[in-house]
Amino acid sequence: MVVVKLKPFEWIVKALGACRRPAVVGCEVGSGRCRNGGIREVKALASYLEEKGFEVVKAVSLGGVCVLENVERALEHIGKDVDAVVSLACGAGTQVIAEKTKVPVVAGVDTLFIGSEKERRFFSEYCIACGNCIITETGGICPVARCPKSLTGGPCGGAVNGRCEVDENLPCVWYLIDERLKATRAGNLFPSNPSGAYPVHPRSLVVEES
Amino acid sequence: MTFREKLRSGKFVITAEVAPPRGVNWQGIVKGIEPLKGKVDAFNVTDCQRSMVRMSSVAMSKLLLDFGFDPVLQITCRDRNKIALQSDLLGAGALGIRNICLMTGDFTTLGDQKDAKPVFDIDSVSLIRLAKHLTGGYLLNGKRLDGAPDFCIGAVFNPFAGPARLQLAKLRRKVEAGAEFIQTQPVYSVSTAKDVHDAIVEAGAVPIVGLLPIKSLRMAKFIENLNPGSVPKELVRGIERARDPSRYGWDYVLDLAHAIAEFGRGIHFMLVGKTQELASFIDYLRNNSKFNHKF
Repeated sequence: MVVVKLKPFEWIVKALGACRRPAVVGCEVGSGRCRNGGIREVKALASYLEEKGFEVVKAVSLGGVCVLENVERALEHIGKDVDAVVSLACGAGTQVIAEKTKVPVVAGVDTLFIGSEKERRFFSEYCIACGNCIITETGGICPVARCPKSLTGGPCGGAVNGRCEVDENLPCVWYLIDERLKATRAGNLFPSNPSGAYPVHPRSLVVEES
Repeated sequence: MTFREKLRSGKFVITAEVAPPRGVNWQGIVKGIEPLKGKVDAFNVTDCQRSMVRMSSVAMSKLLLDFGFDPVLQITCRDRNKIALQSDLLGAGALGIRNICLMTGDFTTLGDQKDAKPVFDIDSVSLIRLAKHLTGGYLLNGKRLDGAPDFCIGAVFNPFAGPARLQLAKLRRKVEAGAEFIQTQPVYSVSTAKDVHDAIVEAGAVPIVGLLPIKSLRMAKFIENLNPGSVPKELVRGIERARDPSRYGWDYVLDLAHAIAEFGRGIHFMLVGKTQELASFIDYLRNNSKFNHKF
């Protein structure tokens, strides 16, 4: 999922400026799952804004704000009196909202990373969408995302006692990979052919009609 | 004999470390190492070590050359992409720099410009390959160079890092990629020095064992924290009991250097505070020690 962090409500109030009739849109897929922009937070923000004198025209959380049809459907009946949209969806979803509306859009969350969750409390970065997946050869553990230096050819000299030199609370991902490869008795120590190419943004994908 | 001539002819080499200044006043540093001229075979010039902003290691290496020292230019992958790495290495070659030591580099947030963008376009093994491409007369993209640099390539090894089998495999890959010599993190026991020496020899390169005199209990703790298991308890006790801990740490390292001279191929002083004493010690090793034939 895409993991996000809700911005302070006071910041959102400031960002709304002179707008008085916002719609608040959350996302259940990423933001909701990490409890930083789903229906619960949408409602909390809406109440806060009402208290501050705003008239919240709509408070809704969609099942995937990055899906164009979802946004079109949700904004269809919003009416002309809405003067801003506060989006609690990730950066992708928020941009889809901006494409579909003429009013200012306030990004109410910071988009952090593509990650995993444990106990709906602990979220960790697992993927940086590099476009060249090597984890088949690294025991299903990604060193591109989980090593600060994105080292695909083994650990650096800062990997001491299983810890990363950048943050001692962080396990060195190459220790994890090594353990996993030992357990699965995989052949190669290092990926055979990691791409040295840096992905050029923005990327796109076209699916051919079958 | 130059550093590389000694290295290639099996002589014992002694290197030491020089950090470029935080500013443009380099004169004091060059003056400071003057007593070691002709004694230390080459000086490693660090590349913003521990991610602390300093003057360029290429510029400092050229200054050392101008004043009669043989530099080992250190270059990391932290601050340059493939374009800048090739460009700077060609520049170094053109300036007459002949020895380079290549490494991945410390992460940016460990230093004093924590918001800098970490580059790490490639890692140490790929950087060695890149340098080897250049010495072979080609850019990474295959284009032919108008004049190739002539580098003696070195790399680094931390015996206290893990996982061991991956670190050793990476060491072998560095040597396969073209590293002729390997300089190590500081060691504090003869047995570790011997193990490290053997591992590097087995990988096929010349080991230059790192030595860093411990000046105080605080420094001992710092090093032990950096490389757990590296500082023996006897050394810590000795530092604690010593009237002059700095003297104790210095003598300890010289004893170790003496022991390494017996079986080793090289030592690397990562701190050159007591230059006169170091110069005398090197004189002793070369002239009066029982290993003088190795120098």
